[in-house]
Amino acid sequence: MPELSKEEIKELIEKSYRARSNVLRMMKNGEGHIGGAFSALDIITVLYNCILKHDPKNPKWPDRDRFILSAGHKVMGLYTTLADQKYFDEEILWTYNTLNTRVPMHPDEKVLPGIEFPTGSLGHGLAVANGIALSARVDKKDFRVFVILGDGECAEGSVWEAAMSAGHHRVDNLTVIVDRNGFQVNGATEDIMDTSLFEDKFAAFGWEVRTIDGHDFSGIYNTLSSVPFKSGRPSCIIADTTKCKGLPFGEDKFEFHHWHCAPEEIDSAINLVNKQKEEEYAKIK
Amino acid sequence: MQKLNNSADKIYEDPRKVVAGALVEAGEKNTNVVFVSCDSSLGASGDPFRQKFPERHFEFGIAEAGAMGQAAGLSISGKIPFITAYMPFITYRCFEQIRDDVCKTKLNVNILGNNCGLSVGTLGPTHVIIEDVTVMRSIPNITILAPADGPQYHSAILKAAEINGPVFVRIHRQKTPRIYEEGYEMIPGKADILRTGKDMTLISTSSMVSKTMEAADMLAGRGIDAEVINAFCLKPIDRETILDSASKTKKVITIEEHTTIGGLGGIVAELLVKECTAKLEMIGIEDQFAVVGTYGELLDYYGLTPEKLVKKIEGLIDGF
Repeated sequence: MPELSKEEIKELIEKSYRARSNVLRMMKNGEGHIGGAFSALDIITVLYNCILKHDPKNPKWPDRDRFILSAGHKVMGLYTTLADQKYFDEEILWTYNTLNTRVPMHPDEKVLPGIEFPTGSLGHGLAVANGIALSARVDKKDFRVFVILGDGECAEGSVWEAAMSAGHHRVDNLTVIVDRNGFQVNGATEDIMDTSLFEDKFAAFGWEVRTIDGHDFSGIYNTLSSVPFKSGRPSCIIADTTKCKGLPFGEDKFEFHHWHCAPEEIDSAINLVNKQKEEEYAKIK
Repeated sequence: MQKLNNSADKIYEDPRKVVAGALVEAGEKNTNVVFVSCDSSLGASGDPFRQKFPERHFEFGIAEAGAMGQAAGLSISGKIPFITAYMPFITYRCFEQIRDDVCKTKLNVNILGNNCGLSVGTLGPTHVIIEDVTVMRSIPNITILAPADGPQYHSAILKAAEINGPVFVRIHRQKTPRIYEEGYEMIPGKADILRTGKDMTLISTSSMVSKTMEAADMLAGRGIDAEVINAFCLKPIDRETILDSASKTKKVITIEEHTTIGGLGGIVAELLVKECTAKLEMIGIEDQFAVVGTYGELLDYYGLTPEKLVKKIEGLIDGF
């Protein structure tokens, strides 16, 4: 498997940080779940640019890989990525949270191409993804299904019902990525409901598990490129991430799970994100 | 008017057996039909399907929320799942998955709620759900079918597979006398007038339809000419048939083995209050958790035997 080149990594950084700037521009309408959007964005960027078999001109292509954002509130980063992929015109982003918008705070597959399934209530996405993955087995198709779960979300029992089923049915065209950013609405995840040892939990349910740095583009790419990790087992990637990654004053702060911002704060925030991008460039060896 | 089975010898059928046969037929007609079990195939109509189409039978264990989500995933990929379990577990336990993953998305997921009404009364109120219609009909996009006899159960399953959206089918546990002729075809959205009459309209559903017909026969012997409507489709309700009959008789009584709060009584009340001046009485179960007893004991306790229905209806006539 070829590794990503420096140029490719630079391009992914450019894309993920441009996506972050666009999330901030959307937030000129006042609020958004920026913390989770930013923690998951590097993974989403790699998925759409390097991993998923998909065609923005034909969003319902039957053989496409599917991506389900189970933690639907992280969707701003997905919206900006889908716009970059030309699933829809970027102008739609600026209607965020306005009357009858196609980009609401939680995704709606009926109104926006590229959204596979509406999510928002936590703990639903993995079961749906498992059903989609099983349908591929019945239809003898080889598409794959990828899911992002939040770490706080994993307190929902329905996550584990679905995890148990995927392990039991040996659904190896299913990959779940847990965005372990460590924070949720009320504080640190370990203080609200300690869901640590995800590695052991998923392994106990019959999954093959890897742990990665969720902001290391090479690591994300190499790991996602090697699924299924083991034939006959669903794949689980625990991605250690930083809540609100890329906006220094929001990083690792649970208060930035959902940020109510003043419009005048946005431009300076975008400047900070661009500075952060330069720092990420500098890290490329 | 539908052709009725007027044979003197009553044929009694087990709804689960009829449903089991119809599921196999649905599977034969359309290879996209799949069965989703929550440890419920054997007890609830899925086993013949499992034996015939093992690759299209999914066992998701005692985990209804996960199972409903997986059914949604199968459906959005073009499958036509029938998912089944005991009534409380396949409605309340996974209600949000039904609302968000199945109904909002308008997927062809068919939910078979087993053992509706008082049919498993000895299991107690954890298993006896008499509010399922109330909660399920509050969700947009869902069709609710409540068959009254074998031919209706058979047709409901085949129609559910065809309807391009979620369908909830209420399935009773007790054997039911055949009302319709074999080969009956249900028209979702309609109600059937089973008996015409001029003095009052009795609107009934599910297991209570045959009992209402018996009661109407007894009432006829006492000089009361009742019209009987089988409201087998509770959503969308057949406004036209109900309003026409109500306008004619001016007296309407709903009869159900279910709470009247938001059940058939509530549905008809919502219709009449807006569109008709007919008076309405509701016979059903009051606002409570059902007491424990055998089916026969509970029907008697709640006044839902044909004899007790007649007595109640005669009492209500004076109030009209």
